[in-house]
Amino acid sequence: MRLLLVEDDQTLSRSLAAQLQRAGYQVDCAADGREGLYFAREYSIDLAIIDLGLPGLSGVELIKTIRAEGKSYPILVLTARDRWQDKVEALKLGADDYVVKPVHVEELLARVDALLRRAGGWAQSELVCGPVRLDTRTQIVTVDGRKLDLTSFEYRLLEYLMLHAGEVLSKAQISEALYNEDFERDSNVIEVFIGRLRRKLDPNGEYKPIETLRGRGYRFALPRGSAANA
Amino acid sequence: MPARRLPAFRSLRARVIVWVSVTLTVLFAITIVGLDLAFRRSTDEAQRQLLEVQLFGLIALAETDEADELTLPNDEIDAQFQVPGSGLYGVLLDADGRPVWQSRSLLGASFPVGESLPGPGEQRYSRVDPPDLPPVETFMMAVTWEFADGHAAPYTFGIASSLEPLMTRQAAFRRNLIGWFAGITIAMLALIGSLLGWVLRPLRRLERQVREVDAGERVALTGEFPSELEPLAASLNALIDTERRRLVRYRNTLDDLAHSLKTPLAVMRTLLSELAAKEADAPSATALDALNREIDRMEQRVSYQLRRARVSGATGLGVEPVQVAPVLEDLRLGLDKVYRDKGVACELAVAPGTVFQGDPGDLTEVLGNLVDNAYKYCRHRVRVTASSGGGKLSIVVADDGRGIEPDDVTKLLERGTRADESVPGHGIGLAVVRDIVELYGGTLAIERSVLGGAAVLVEFTRARAAGQGGAVPPPSSRA
Repeated sequence: MRLLLVEDDQTLSRSLAAQLQRAGYQVDCAADGREGLYFAREYSIDLAIIDLGLPGLSGVELIKTIRAEGKSYPILVLTARDRWQDKVEALKLGADDYVVKPVHVEELLARVDALLRRAGGWAQSELVCGPVRLDTRTQIVTVDGRKLDLTSFEYRLLEYLMLHAGEVLSKAQISEALYNEDFERDSNVIEVFIGRLRRKLDPNGEYKPIETLRGRGYRFALPRGSAANA
Repeated sequence: MPARRLPAFRSLRARVIVWVSVTLTVLFAITIVGLDLAFRRSTDEAQRQLLEVQLFGLIALAETDEADELTLPNDEIDAQFQVPGSGLYGVLLDADGRPVWQSRSLLGASFPVGESLPGPGEQRYSRVDPPDLPPVETFMMAVTWEFADGHAAPYTFGIASSLEPLMTRQAAFRRNLIGWFAGITIAMLALIGSLLGWVLRPLRRLERQVREVDAGERVALTGEFPSELEPLAASLNALIDTERRRLVRYRNTLDDLAHSLKTPLAVMRTLLSELAAKEADAPSATALDALNREIDRMEQRVSYQLRRARVSGATGLGVEPVQVAPVLEDLRLGLDKVYRDKGVACELAVAPGTVFQGDPGDLTEVLGNLVDNAYKYCRHRVRVTASSGGGKLSIVVADDGRGIEPDDVTKLLERGTRADESVPGHGIGLAVVRDIVELYGGTLAIERSVLGGAAVLVEFTRARAAGQGGAVPPPSSRA
């Protein structure tokens, strides 16, 4: 999951980025509105965290521009102003949620998590696709009630696939979402991890949860929800 | 200055009317006295001349009788002397003052000679009020009559004319004079009154507009004013504008202050949580926890005080009435996003034309906090009803949650409590609402809603000029 963090206070920005990274997100940091807009335009982003009080281009302007350009990823507003007029305006212009400074990191992570889930069309914190259950809060994954032992990277890959269950995701998209930008994009690491994940999720080959679409990428093929498959 | 003491003089119109009335009365009184005096003099003079003419007429008719005495022939003299009580009387006195002839009009009454007879060759006018006649003016002339045989004897001719016709004429003149001047005074006052109406009309328009600005029905003074008032209107507009800018600047300063206070707090907190993630050993974890709690407290204080300070809490000159419905709709749109997972059904029942007389930021702050709390604590339903009329705005925000404990309601609404510290959860939001409502002199109450949860009732009244900084009256809470 690739996040854009637009925050002009360098210490806060670095510290927040570090903690978001620890939680498994890729974070691009922009120090002002203009840089933020550049990143928002150029990078494939899953969620943006935007401070309202930015130098250069204001946060409100930035949100307006991002939305005007048709970008639909969730935007979380981070602001020191807790005036309702500001909150309402930001939400009206296209933000999806707000947190007021000084924010608790846990709260920020919870909001980010919820927004990402929602963007993938999930209303609950537990993602369920047939026999596979992934709890985004506890990061516990079970298949038919059997708990899986996943590495951090495997978990993030699975979460990304499940959040976009049913969608085709290119290798480039997946690597951009899971790796830092300086990582070599067309390596076959993704293939390797997909292979491992398949073995762990479906050792007997009965579900075939991850489809490979030649030349196009991968798709988490199990239908959302448990009722259909149970 | 009597102008300070008499309430009547506080009106410009009254001042002018009083001044004009007094001045005209004095001026006209002097004029009336002068004219009356002049008229009286001239009529008195005319009367004397008439008396003189008549006296000389008598002298011309005087003749000697058989007894060699001077007398007047009754059949030749003027008819007025013949008619009793005609008001014109004549007499001829001998040297001893005995009448040798008197006109028939006297009808037995004696001629009002006065105190004494004029000396030889003397003429005398006098006014006499005799007991048996109405007041008269007399003219007497002492002459020495030379008879045909050459001897001479002193005689006095006297004539008296009733003053009544003269006095009647003079009184009528005076009455006419007073009547005319009174008429002129009244006409002038009426004219001045209408002139004042015309002159003061722009002033009244100005006053009305200022009142409307104060009531929040108008943003600035508009229209053309007379050149004397133009500078005043311009100054007032400048004042209104300055006031508005001042408020904006003040809020910007507070925003900057919030930013500059909260960003360091945010930095501290994230650094602490970074540290906490690295330092697993117990002693530093406890210290970090303690630090975190301090940051929380600081954050609460800063947040609460800044939000409090930002409340404009009043008309603020030149603030337009705020439509309530759009504010609620925007709020619902925003909160629906924020609480999307919860799937809240928020129902807005706003009567058409519901307005808030005050600062839009204050209204958004009140509604934002109340509706956000409702979304947060409801199960699935929130209902906001609002209506205004008769200078009152009533808002009820209800939800179907657990409601607020009666003890907490008491704490939240108790005057003088630090609401930000009294009830966690609803705390800051409701505390800010309470402060705003207090500043507007409104009322705040918390009841149980028909939906099952809490219902927060807010009522703002327009007549709040004296309610500035006023208290929240005892809530009609069921608690």
